Amino acid sequence: MADRVFAGAILVIALLYTYIAFTVIEAPFQYDPLGPESWPRILGIFAMACALYLVIRPDVAQLGTSTKTLGRLAVVVVLLFAYGYLFERLGFILSTWLFCATLAWMLGAAPLRAVLFGAAAGIVGFFVCTTLLELNLPVGLTAFLT
Amino acid sequence: MDAVFSGLSAGFAVALDPFNLFLVLIGCFAGTLIGALPGIGPINGVAILLPIAYSLGFPPESALILLAGIYYGAEYGGRISSILLNVPGDASAVMTTLDGNPMAKRGEAGRALSLSAVASFVGGTFSVILVTLFGPMLAAYAVTFSPSDYVALMVFAFATLASLVGSNAVKTLLAALLGLMLASIGIDANTGVARYTFGIPDILAGIDFLVVVIGLFGMAELIHLVEQQVTGKLKPLALDKSFVSMKDLALTRWTILRSAVIGFFIGILPGTGASVASAVAYGTEKRLAKDSDNFGKGDIRGLAAPESANNAAAGGAMVPMLTLGIPGSGTTAILLGALLLFNVTPGPLMFEQRPEIAWGLIASMYIGNVALLVINLPLVGLFARLLTVPQQYLTPMIAVLAFIGVYSVVSNPHDLYMITLLGVVGWVLRKLDFSLAPVILGFVLGSLFENNLRRALSISGGDWSILLDSGNAIVLYVLAAVVVVVPIWLGRRKKKVAEA
Repeated sequence: MADRVFAGAILVIALLYTYIAFTVIEAPFQYDPLGPESWPRILGIFAMACALYLVIRPDVAQLGTSTKTLGRLAVVVVLLFAYGYLFERLGFILSTWLFCATLAWMLGAAPLRAVLFGAAAGIVGFFVCTTLLELNLPVGLTAFLT
Repeated sequence: MDAVFSGLSAGFAVALDPFNLFLVLIGCFAGTLIGALPGIGPINGVAILLPIAYSLGFPPESALILLAGIYYGAEYGGRISSILLNVPGDASAVMTTLDGNPMAKRGEAGRALSLSAVASFVGGTFSVILVTLFGPMLAAYAVTFSPSDYVALMVFAFATLASLVGSNAVKTLLAALLGLMLASIGIDANTGVARYTFGIPDILAGIDFLVVVIGLFGMAELIHLVEQQVTGKLKPLALDKSFVSMKDLALTRWTILRSAVIGFFIGILPGTGASVASAVAYGTEKRLAKDSDNFGKGDIRGLAAPESANNAAAGGAMVPMLTLGIPGSGTTAILLGALLLFNVTPGPLMFEQRPEIAWGLIASMYIGNVALLVINLPLVGLFARLLTVPQQYLTPMIAVLAFIGVYSVVSNPHDLYMITLLGVVGWVLRKLDFSLAPVILGFVLGSLFENNLRRALSISGGDWSILLDSGNAIVLYVLAAVVVVVPIWLGRRKKKVAEA
């Protein structure tokens, strides 16, 4: 069933993709016999055929993941988005500290150890990357450090 | 032959440059570390470290040498978690667990690790020698390929991919198509027409290769690790003082050599990397052995075969990448993408136009193999200790490395959301038994495939029969058909025998 739902979603995407290839994409002036639209048309038709086959003959019945695990995974994804949101706003050190501490704690580390680990990851990571490797990382609120 | 020697000596001049030598060693060491971490395979290691290697501003040959070292090292390191923990880092290490772990349980962990290190070394070195001999020959031949031959080559590549990778050919094909479709997003270079950009300026130049790689092989792996996290702690088996003996090596020498040959040639086939090679080598040895009962219970031949084969395949996979510009495995697809980032187009002309890259890489593979053997025999205890790194600290570090990599190359905060999103997609694909390597192969090959098709039809003025116009192309289409039909036929026959 999970397979079928996913293949159905891909089928819809492939349909849209192919529809756009046939209607929207058009060169104002044709340079080569195929133009920009033929390749997407070919891909789209093959993708639709494959997705349709999977809708008819799916082979994975279930994701095999318990609701509890799915919940945990959803929390991890939210954490990752939050990390991305705070990355420039707070700067690398603070956002990494927060993210690493929270995720490590969530995965079973003791609270104090998680906080120390986050601090080490943020601070050591920042100086190794910016001074040693000369990479560009956001400073955010910790602009006074540089 | 002279060209090979002069090329190789020029390559060693590049690889023995102190800075590059340092990078080979660092790459091998870091790769072994990553490979030894439970659950993380070569492709994930290369993916996560690629953007960082790119943004350090090295010349392309140095960056490639570093990444290839990581790739090699991770193939080596993977055996440590397979043997001591029974947790394979990726599909190619699964076969190593079959006989490696029972040996360790028997108290022969040291013997298993040292034997597999030697098998890996022989397999890896043997395959580099073959790369040295065959690479330039294939490149010289491939120079004569016309656009329509390239189209046939792509069809062959995707046929082998669908037929040999993954459990379901339609799923593998669909995964490759998704990669090809992703690659078609952005401005069409030939006409300047925007395709599937929906007016979003960020993707006019196309979806960033690094973002796709980090999303599918870094973030998806992270989500997978969280899902797999076991509540009880994994307990690695103790490392003991046993060591491989001359008798072991004498007993396995033909196994190792046979598996190296198998690994190399399977590695060359486009799209099929170390996982297929190690499975085929293991199966072959099991069939050839007169006393195959011990396979799976800790037979040294069952350990030597996949380890020799997967390292040989890693070398073999370099051949089509360097000579045709078509990667032989998921990981070489990432290396190929890395070269494209440096504006180097791999292909038959690379041996002539950018010899420092092609030959430098080959020479560094010789050095890397020796370095890995030297690193791995005495330091195996150190790497084994990594197995106890708790998952709760390892998992967040993957995200941190991925974020650093993407941010330092692209510096666009939207891409941080993008990699997370792609990570979720990648995780779903994996859960549904799609392999991810075809997606990246499709993505990397997308424009090459399309451009050659368009060029071929421009030459013929729109006449499709040009695709079947040359001997090369016809041979390739026949091979593609064979690759697709034979496994189906074998499967049917097996079924019939089973029913009868």
